[in-house]
Amino acid sequence: MEVLLLKVPSFKFSSPICCCSISTRSSSYVKFGIRRFSSVSVSASSTVNEAVTEPSLAAPSLGHTTRPHFPILHQEVNGKKLVYLDNAATSQKPAIVLKTLQSYYEEYNSNVHRGIHFLSAKATDEYESARRKIATFINASETREIVFTRNATEAINLVAYSWGLSNLKRDDEIILTVAEHHSAIVPWQLLAEKVGAVLKFVNLNQDEVPDIDKLQELLSRKTKLVVVHHVSNVLASVLPIRDIANWAHDVGAKVLVDACQSVPHMPVDVQSLNVDFLVASSHKMCGPTGIGFLYGKIDLLSSMPPFLGGGEMISDVFLDHSTYAEPPSRFEAGTPAIGEAIGLGAAIDYLSGIGMQTIHDYEVDLGRYLYERLLSVPNIRIYGPNPLEKIERVALCSFNVENIQATDLATLLDQLHGVAIRSGHHCAQPLHRFLGVNASARASLYFYNTKEDVDNFIQALKDTINFFK
Amino acid sequence: MLSPPFITASHTNLFTQPLNKNNNHSPLTTKTHQKLKPPIISSSSIKSQRQTHPILTAPSLPLTTSSITVKLNRLTSEFNTLTEPIERVKRLLHYASLLPPFEDSDRVPENRISGCSTQVWVVSAMDNDGKLWFRADSDSEISKGFCWCLVWALNGACPVEVLHVTERDLGHVDILGLGLKAQSRINTWHNLLLGMQKAAKDLLIRRELEEKAFYSSMVVDDDDDHSGGVFANGKLSGIGVSLVYMH
Repeated sequence: MEVLLLKVPSFKFSSPICCCSISTRSSSYVKFGIRRFSSVSVSASSTVNEAVTEPSLAAPSLGHTTRPHFPILHQEVNGKKLVYLDNAATSQKPAIVLKTLQSYYEEYNSNVHRGIHFLSAKATDEYESARRKIATFINASETREIVFTRNATEAINLVAYSWGLSNLKRDDEIILTVAEHHSAIVPWQLLAEKVGAVLKFVNLNQDEVPDIDKLQELLSRKTKLVVVHHVSNVLASVLPIRDIANWAHDVGAKVLVDACQSVPHMPVDVQSLNVDFLVASSHKMCGPTGIGFLYGKIDLLSSMPPFLGGGEMISDVFLDHSTYAEPPSRFEAGTPAIGEAIGLGAAIDYLSGIGMQTIHDYEVDLGRYLYERLLSVPNIRIYGPNPLEKIERVALCSFNVENIQATDLATLLDQLHGVAIRSGHHCAQPLHRFLGVNASARASLYFYNTKEDVDNFIQALKDTINFFK
Repeated sequence: MLSPPFITASHTNLFTQPLNKNNNHSPLTTKTHQKLKPPIISSSSIKSQRQTHPILTAPSLPLTTSSITVKLNRLTSEFNTLTEPIERVKRLLHYASLLPPFEDSDRVPENRISGCSTQVWVVSAMDNDGKLWFRADSDSEISKGFCWCLVWALNGACPVEVLHVTERDLGHVDILGLGLKAQSRINTWHNLLLGMQKAAKDLLIRRELEEKAFYSSMVVDDDDDHSGGVFANGKLSGIGVSLVYMH
């Protein structure tokens, strides 16, 4: 695998395969090769109650190799080294993304699609190049299937107002799960109120994952849409999207997948999954805030009326009516977040350079380590499936410790130990209500976290629990 | 002498409904309570007798006539002397331990402060002098500490004083040393103030309505065959005007 980086002397890969300079028309790049790194393996039976991993002479983990690329991770918080474990909320950005943003504004900021001068042409090129990168990243069949939005929430609202309003009618059913993020629930509630559609929710099964058997039972000819997460931001579970899409299509329903927690962490192939719509946010995948995207099959997008009206999404404007552009422009009203889209493109380049399968494999190991170490904490309750029972889990854990409020835990972890986790309902109130709790604490990892981060977190958590005793 | 009615409601429906539907006694009745400080409000009805209210039995809360600003400044000074985060947290937890018991029946959605990542409940009442008294609780120890501090600062103040406290006043009190001034949706400190201000506004409005109703009932219409009365023109004004009912 290779990654293209701007020449940044202060960052080094520990084991470059080759190193040579090439010049492009705008800047010089240094080409590195990255060896595939495997994480330091720890057996479950021996380490659940032990403090830390032994220093190893093996190849550094992906976390150790990539950490230097993220300037923000190298700071102290409240006098302690920052341990950032809130990646499900937002990810940190590698220097290359920051540099790309700065370069855009320093060198070629200009409005896209409108000007014929050099700066505008370059900005347009880079903006559309970012769109192509996203299409390739998720294996969309064509670039036109990628619509830039502000974030995944806006993308879901786009589908609700554009596709939903013109395709759903009274008594039509939309199937969701109780574990959906609020952004995947509320737009459909608003739509259902308008058109008289019915929302049906799938509960969790005994493994604390959405009951797929029940979902299949709920599908009928009345079902017009299935809205599901790919990966749960609380339970860490992964849904069988390909199966769900097949079942939904069998009854004539469309499928919208919230891929906010999957696209940043694993290979996602929309053609293989055969989904109709898929949404994701840049800020969860090493890209800037303010940009996200909707993937939609081109025949669907072509049939959809506009969402927001304004410049860019029109073909011709008259006083009494207007005609509209083809997708994706039809759904991109106004001046877009150009720099941010280009920054997302740089993030995708960075992630592709590592390899999504590599990232996923590393995080599965690290996530299992986090789960096992958390199990060593007395009176803890971790939500979601048990990875030790071979049910797939991603690298996050939402949990509660008996008699200690989640926000108290998070506050002290931050104040006394510099550990950043999240507490609350994680935009999943129906799920928390189903689980019978008001709030939970959540530690969520990304590929730049290490086993030391997990060890530091567990030690800090145990100290915090003792503090409250 | 008939004294005008005064509001005895929390910022929810204490005024019109019992807090606990299964509770046979009036919401204003205490079960067991310690000596009342300050004088408590009578019931919402003109005819109800003076009764105690559990939220006003707060022996652990200092009774002071200091203004809110003075109290907030004291909190600021106190927490500013604690430079270590652990010391601030310990002090906050100490204050949390001072919070008086909170009725289970008051832990209802109507009393919950919205916007906090923890659960926080507040009830309030107004005494005969028009001063406000609060009780608060939370499922979080740190939020309890915030509750104690803000209840201590606002207790005994008049509604207008409570309503004039701004986020900026609170922002100076950087209890956890975060140095953050921006309002966040999980900011218990700010949300609690907003909840208490809403309660103050509600109590003020209810008091005015109650008094207006009370005084209206004392007006003698031309057609009324009362043996005597004070006001013959139906015009009332002011809060807290004493009535002398003449036979």
